[in-house]
Amino acid sequence: MLLASLDWQFIWDHLPDFWEGLKATLKVAAIGIGGSLAIGIVLGAARAHRIPVISQLATVYVEIIRNTPILVQIFFIAGGLTQIPGHPIRLEPFTIAWLSVTIWGGAYNTENFRAGFEAVPGRYREAGRALGFSRLATFVNVTLPIGARIAMPSSINTYVSVLKNTSLLTAVGFAELTNTAYSLESVSFKATEVYFALGVTYLITVWLLSLVVRLVERRMAIPETR
Amino acid sequence: MPSWVDPVAHYMLHVGLPMTLRIAAYAVVGSISIGIVLGTLMTIRFRPLQGLIRLYIEIWRGLPIIVTIFLVYYALPTAPIIHHRFAAVTGAALGLTLWGSAQVAEATRGAVQSIPREQHEGAAALGFGWVGRHRSVILPQAFRRLLPPLVSLVANIIQNTTIASLIGVTELLATGQRSIERLQLTPPGDSHAFAIYSALLVLFFCISFPLTRLAIFLERRLA
Repeated sequence: MLLASLDWQFIWDHLPDFWEGLKATLKVAAIGIGGSLAIGIVLGAARAHRIPVISQLATVYVEIIRNTPILVQIFFIAGGLTQIPGHPIRLEPFTIAWLSVTIWGGAYNTENFRAGFEAVPGRYREAGRALGFSRLATFVNVTLPIGARIAMPSSINTYVSVLKNTSLLTAVGFAELTNTAYSLESVSFKATEVYFALGVTYLITVWLLSLVVRLVERRMAIPETR
Repeated sequence: MPSWVDPVAHYMLHVGLPMTLRIAAYAVVGSISIGIVLGTLMTIRFRPLQGLIRLYIEIWRGLPIIVTIFLVYYALPTAPIIHHRFAAVTGAALGLTLWGSAQVAEATRGAVQSIPREQHEGAAALGFGWVGRHRSVILPQAFRRLLPPLVSLVANIIQNTTIASLIGVTELLATGQRSIERLQLTPPGDSHAFAIYSALLVLFFCISFPLTRLAIFLERRLA
């Protein structure tokens, strides 16, 4: 009943707009996911191996990001840094966009990977060292391949959240998917059509992303648990 | 302390903070009550019902909260048939409740399913019906397992109340931003944005950190 009453022609006509917005969302999300993967591995390893100084700094970083709203973090980067007395930092909208979701995702992923690396039995590392691998080589060849797989289910959730969090960038006027819909609504007043289409677009994107990463996860799962 | 600090702090702590806590309270109560009922119902082996609740969970977990809030606040009132306009506070609380109840439902399902079958059988043997069995025997035991994720949920909901500022609710973030705008417009025109956003980060940290610690503590103790 509700679906039949929607102005489908309007949605159809504006699909190209949604596609443009979606492209910007996916671009920022892709950088955010890649960045948080890199941060997660490096800082997660530093935390798991208790590397002095870096480990403590990583803890502070993780706790600050996880205990403050990402929306405030975005405004802090977009509006707060520009007003530092004496040393204003001005960033491009696109830089603000990928930087804020990467910093957020990196903190959550540091925890995911720390837990994953710590779950790798110590005897595996000892075996690597006994075979003459250096500490770094042991990490790269033993701890990383096993620990990253243990961390995968929780890091997948983080990647999906990074994609969803790009929607908050609309608050600083970055033209991603939600912002595109918001602008479209403010000129057309067709709120039901616009937000219905927006919701469906996000659901398809989020569900597809979870499906793809779950397929990758299944392929890469540790053999005995497969 | 510079003279601009006092009125800003007063505004944020006496107008913004109570509103943040109010929305969070509505959303926490709504999420927990709806989520526990849906999660428990989901353990009944009846496919259509399980499918419907699964759909509910996947939709409200899949959508970004800001989109859910926009749907409730902007799209619902103009939808044919419904024509109901929510106040911004209600819209925000409702949007957060949809998201939170999906999280609680999923956690409850897992917690209820972790209770051994003997408990169900024992309660049934004592003459409890389905409702009585769950209320008096199963859920109290499942609650131990549910407590840590519920505490994390409270922290998450409090953080996510900031999204309400985007539909015009004067919660903590919005009071900070209005202070920035007002300071910018009054001579000498210094917005103090860096200080105010930093203060917001500190405030939210002070609320959220004890809760996330408590969740970790409970998880370790109950494990």
